[in-house]
Amino acid sequence: MISAFFRKKELKVRQEILKGIYEENLRIIGKKKGALLRQRTFSPNRLLLILCIAAIVVLAGGNYLDAPLLAEKQTAGGTVMRPLPSSAELPNPSDFKAFITNADVSVSRTFGLGVKTIMIDAGHGGVDSGTRGKMGTAEKDIALDIAKRLKSRLDKYGRFHVVMTRSEDVTLPLNKRVELAREAKADLFVSIHLNYLPSKPINIIETYYFGPSADSKTQELAEQENAGSQYGLGEFKEIIEKLGQKLKLQESRELAYSIQKNLFVNMEKENGNAYNFGVKRAPFVVLLGAEVPAVLAEVSCLSNRQEEKQLNTEAHRENIAHDLEAGILDYINKGEAGYGADRYAEKR
Amino acid sequence: MAQTDTRKKDDVLFVGIDLGTSRSSISAGNGKREWIESFVGWPKDFIALQVVGKPVLFGSEALQNRLSLDICRPLEHGVIKEGISRNDEAVKEIIRHLIELAGPASGQKIHAVVGVPADTLKVNKLAIRKAVTEFVHSLMVVTEPFAVAYGMNLLNNSMVIDIGAGTADFCIMHGSIPSEEDQKTVLTAGDYIDEQLFSYLSEKYPNSKFNKNMVRQFKEQYSFVRDTPDEIRVEIPVDGKPVMHDIKNEIRRACESILPALAETTAEMIARFDPEFQVKIKNNIVLAGGGSLIRGLREHLQDALKEYGPCKVSCVEDPLFAGSDGALKLAQDMPSKYWEPL
Repeated sequence: MISAFFRKKELKVRQEILKGIYEENLRIIGKKKGALLRQRTFSPNRLLLILCIAAIVVLAGGNYLDAPLLAEKQTAGGTVMRPLPSSAELPNPSDFKAFITNADVSVSRTFGLGVKTIMIDAGHGGVDSGTRGKMGTAEKDIALDIAKRLKSRLDKYGRFHVVMTRSEDVTLPLNKRVELAREAKADLFVSIHLNYLPSKPINIIETYYFGPSADSKTQELAEQENAGSQYGLGEFKEIIEKLGQKLKLQESRELAYSIQKNLFVNMEKENGNAYNFGVKRAPFVVLLGAEVPAVLAEVSCLSNRQEEKQLNTEAHRENIAHDLEAGILDYINKGEAGYGADRYAEKR
Repeated sequence: MAQTDTRKKDDVLFVGIDLGTSRSSISAGNGKREWIESFVGWPKDFIALQVVGKPVLFGSEALQNRLSLDICRPLEHGVIKEGISRNDEAVKEIIRHLIELAGPASGQKIHAVVGVPADTLKVNKLAIRKAVTEFVHSLMVVTEPFAVAYGMNLLNNSMVIDIGAGTADFCIMHGSIPSEEDQKTVLTAGDYIDEQLFSYLSEKYPNSKFNKNMVRQFKEQYSFVRDTPDEIRVEIPVDGKPVMHDIKNEIRRACESILPALAETTAEMIARFDPEFQVKIKNNIVLAGGGSLIRGLREHLQDALKEYGPCKVSCVEDPLFAGSDGALKLAQDMPSKYWEPL
């Protein structure tokens, strides 16, 4: 009698647990409890109601509704997983007119230097795995994957020649990367890295361009990232001094701002812990060697657990690639708009 | 009850899968139980393909032929990396292979419960869902220690510690589905011991030639903590000549390197739990996974927790299949209305 009572109780516990598992599984794939059942009993009346609402919304053209959802649907075509940010946050890259009036035209653009070849550099690789997250995610893997995604995104435009420093998990010294960029006659150089801040639970996004740094933290980071180069210290200093106030600096800064803006605006939406550390100057070897606009983007932060989890999903990496793409295009289109304007002035 | 069971058996095959970093196992409703080492290898080029004669190899067979293969161990550190270095493809192959081993009859539907490490559940759940959709008709994903607990009927006031290769997973059961606070994962497990052992041995015998795979085999054969009367000597080549090496101290040091984290996490998780039930849990701690085979580990943990009051630690009987058997039991107990087609 008593044993029967206990068995009954145990059975009940078991049923509770089974139900719990079922619900948890549903939650993870993003379905609501009983969503499937509801689908079957979907009444035609309800369908009609929804159709009516949809029709009203479409007819209104979204003009009366300041609904971000609608804007998302309209731009999220094809593989773009997240819409391009609305025009208030970010100038539409294809909107040339907006920039014709832009007085901020840089020197290289005055000479009409277009961008044809883009070099994407996935940080670290091979024996050098970069930083590693708590779950074991390696910087080299993520950086390479984002780089590949960025390449295929840029390739779609057809007007760029996109080259990668490494397309596999191989060890590649920094000066070799620079050499590759020179050989490929790259017009832009974008290096992708991930941050690691063991002491803070935040996600920092920052973009660097080459220049002497006053900040000791940045200096430290530069030392880390430069570890693979084979330049002696003296040599290195000399190069820095030689470089001086080259045009490149200005262009790199522009590119860095453009990428940083796009990255941060979008990352902030996904991870509330994202912090904008802005554009910084730092003496990274990869940035120095390239004779063209070059930036190093720390696109995410592996020490942040939430971020690490997300980085293991394809969608999040695709989003980062998308942000980088938007940043690069922004920069390029700005240049072309300026270029167009100058030509117009010349004719007159 | 029995009647419905037989009806179920005819058109549906239930399987429980334990997807581990080092070994993956499957238990099927038709009584089959199989395991493979979680290695997948693809021939490097067409010559290699000629040599091995198969487009994809698994487990020990892949390891034996590793010189002509691209080897992938997809669940390193217990997390599947989607779209990177063929990891998801490898997981797919492993699951396909395991289900083939279970030998479902043609036309039989497959309902699977898959166990994964606790901490990385969410990422893994989605990735596994993607990987298995081709091979199963319906799927549930649960944490590994939970599957073990369910299989052993430890549903209430108990704690399961599943020490695998990539992760050691802790799970407290209290009569309902464990929440995130009831589960914890630490990364110091079997692979960590391998790394430590490798570095200790490299330090002590700089001239001897050995690799990670050999080190892993030494560990699996001889692992112990505290003390053992046996002598541990293995054959390692030096300049091509086989020489016997004494590795007893190194094995002990390496194995003991995981103890502090293990004891601390156990104590911490118990301390966090409702004080009224802490004593019950302490008397119901179960070790599972390959790590539970380390000699002396059970006794050590029991002693280490003594300062928190008396406790009892036991080991599962069959660590290789404890996870998959539990998953199978879960699959069979699951009411049919919960099985949704993918």
